[in-house]
Amino acid sequence: MVELIPLLMFLVICLVLMAGYPVALSLSGTALLFAFVGYMTGTFDMAFLYALPNRLFGTIKNTTLIAVPLFVFMGVMLEKSRLAEDLLESMADLFKGFRSGLGISVVLVGTLLAASTGIVGATVVTMGLMSLPTMLKRGYSSSQATGIICATGTLGQIIPPSIALVLLGDILSSAYQQAQLNMGIFTPKVVSIGDLFVGAIIPGLILVVLYCAYVMLFARPQLQPLQGHDQPLAVHKLSRAMRNLLPPILLIGAVLGSILTGAATPTEAAAVGAFGATLLAIAKGQLSVARLREVAQNTTEVTSMVFLILIGAAIFSLVFRGFGGEELVEQFFSQLPGGVVSATILVMVVIFLLGFVLDFIEITFVVVPIVGPVLLAMGLDPIWLGIMIAINLQTSFLTPPFGFALFYLRGVAPASVETSDMYRGVAPFIVIQLFLMLMLSLWPALATWLPAAIYN
Amino acid sequence: MKAIPLIIKMIDRFTDLTGRFISWLTLALVAITVIVVVLRYFFESGSIALQESITYLHGLIFMLGIAFTLQRGGHVRVDIFYRGFSPARKALVNLLGGILFLLPVSLLILFMSWDYVAASWSIGETSEESSGIAGIYLLKTLLLAMPATLLLQGVAEILKNILILMGKQPPEAIDYLQQEHVEPQV
Repeated sequence: MVELIPLLMFLVICLVLMAGYPVALSLSGTALLFAFVGYMTGTFDMAFLYALPNRLFGTIKNTTLIAVPLFVFMGVMLEKSRLAEDLLESMADLFKGFRSGLGISVVLVGTLLAASTGIVGATVVTMGLMSLPTMLKRGYSSSQATGIICATGTLGQIIPPSIALVLLGDILSSAYQQAQLNMGIFTPKVVSIGDLFVGAIIPGLILVVLYCAYVMLFARPQLQPLQGHDQPLAVHKLSRAMRNLLPPILLIGAVLGSILTGAATPTEAAAVGAFGATLLAIAKGQLSVARLREVAQNTTEVTSMVFLILIGAAIFSLVFRGFGGEELVEQFFSQLPGGVVSATILVMVVIFLLGFVLDFIEITFVVVPIVGPVLLAMGLDPIWLGIMIAINLQTSFLTPPFGFALFYLRGVAPASVETSDMYRGVAPFIVIQLFLMLMLSLWPALATWLPAAIYN
Repeated sequence: MKAIPLIIKMIDRFTDLTGRFISWLTLALVAITVIVVVLRYFFESGSIALQESITYLHGLIFMLGIAFTLQRGGHVRVDIFYRGFSPARKALVNLLGGILFLLPVSLLILFMSWDYVAASWSIGETSEESSGIAGIYLLKTLLLAMPATLLLQGVAEILKNILILMGKQPPEAIDYLQQEHVEPQV
């Protein structure tokens, strides 16, 4: 029975989380209560917790993670300087003659926004507030409009430079090292955040193309566009659109490019991106001391939130290890019939279900360190695994009734939009997601080819 | 009983002040990292101390920002059910969470880190690089400052929730703190 305590602990934590107390503290607090009971009954050795200060100081000294506050700063700055509104307006202007123009604009702007903020909640809420009323007015049904917005909002997980991929890259790189050391390889290969960014490009683009295709073929508005087809695009509109579109595209391009070519580390690129976003805000006349203070405080809050989860997860994992959880997981996977395939499917299903209650950050910090080394030791490619986890979670955030994106959009959608409309609207996008995961499973090269081509 | 709102206000004010100060450091973090990049790529020079100061700033921001984020309700929750709770029920969740989770976790980090930090102070631990910042013991002190500030703000939050459960209105941190900061502009 004692060997099953880690499993019991995990289940109890999932239940405790439902009460709604902050995740990081629920996670570490529950683990600590288990450790205390274990100590009293002689099944837990407190010595496992002595490693804590060293782990925490390791987090402070980890230079890769400095990219987190810098990317958050960049995203918050772009969001607060009303860049997204202007982008959507100009895009919609450009596509005015096409019947599906607005829908396509929403997908493309959402993609850009996702790439710049990398935070699901922020993208869904911003897009929902900005584009839902317009889409409904232009004759999109509620289910079409909400489906497009939710799906596009979750792209923030997968389109680099996303914070999710930064965190996942950091965790996967240590999991990969550990897996190889366990196998007796003492000159281990490494995987970096840059690898994960490059690996995400092709799958991310496929998703955007499939979304656009769906919007063009199946999600067409009832009404014709307001202006006639033959009306030429006014030159001043085109130049205004370019003025709004080019700077953020250049900024994101520069950030990504400098990471991908190896010219800069993700941290350096993120700092330059944050600086560039500030310059953009100044150029648009959107930067005041009050706005700057807001951006700085928001950045501090989001950063501290992320790192407290990291700290909570560290405490959880020490207790989990102390109760023999790692052996339990390893043993379980080695006895599982079907080897690496069934192990991968099982992990993906568990992560999908966890995605209903936990955010990307918690799953990355809690689950990936436990299952990552085992799966990688079975021979999975770390880049492929990272991309699969990211797309899997993205799907989970879209899936009714618990998907995060649906909750965020529900919060800002008018009451006239039925929740069941939203469920129907996202269904086709879930099919697209599952299709992409199937393609990735059949052709892993979709994720692994580009990194190998660039870095070799 | 009258002391409780006063204690809450004092702690809130302290956390708010440190949080506001810490937040401005994010600008310094961006600026210094950009300077390091410019120095490296355009002038092919660099300063290890400057490089290390980025780590110090980052550590300060997220370790001392944790209590500030707690005060502002910024730590993410699973709110599938929580969002629908009555104010009293929310207060009960937060009270129990504070006592069962926040206090023990803060105390654990505090006690476990004590010797670790003390050892660093006693030898005046410096950077591994000879031209680095000679203050690793200061950086390690964050391992005590984080749980201490979190504990302090945690006590304030517990007191607020006790007041709510007793049917009393706790002092609204956001209200009086913002008023103070608006006044100078009037």
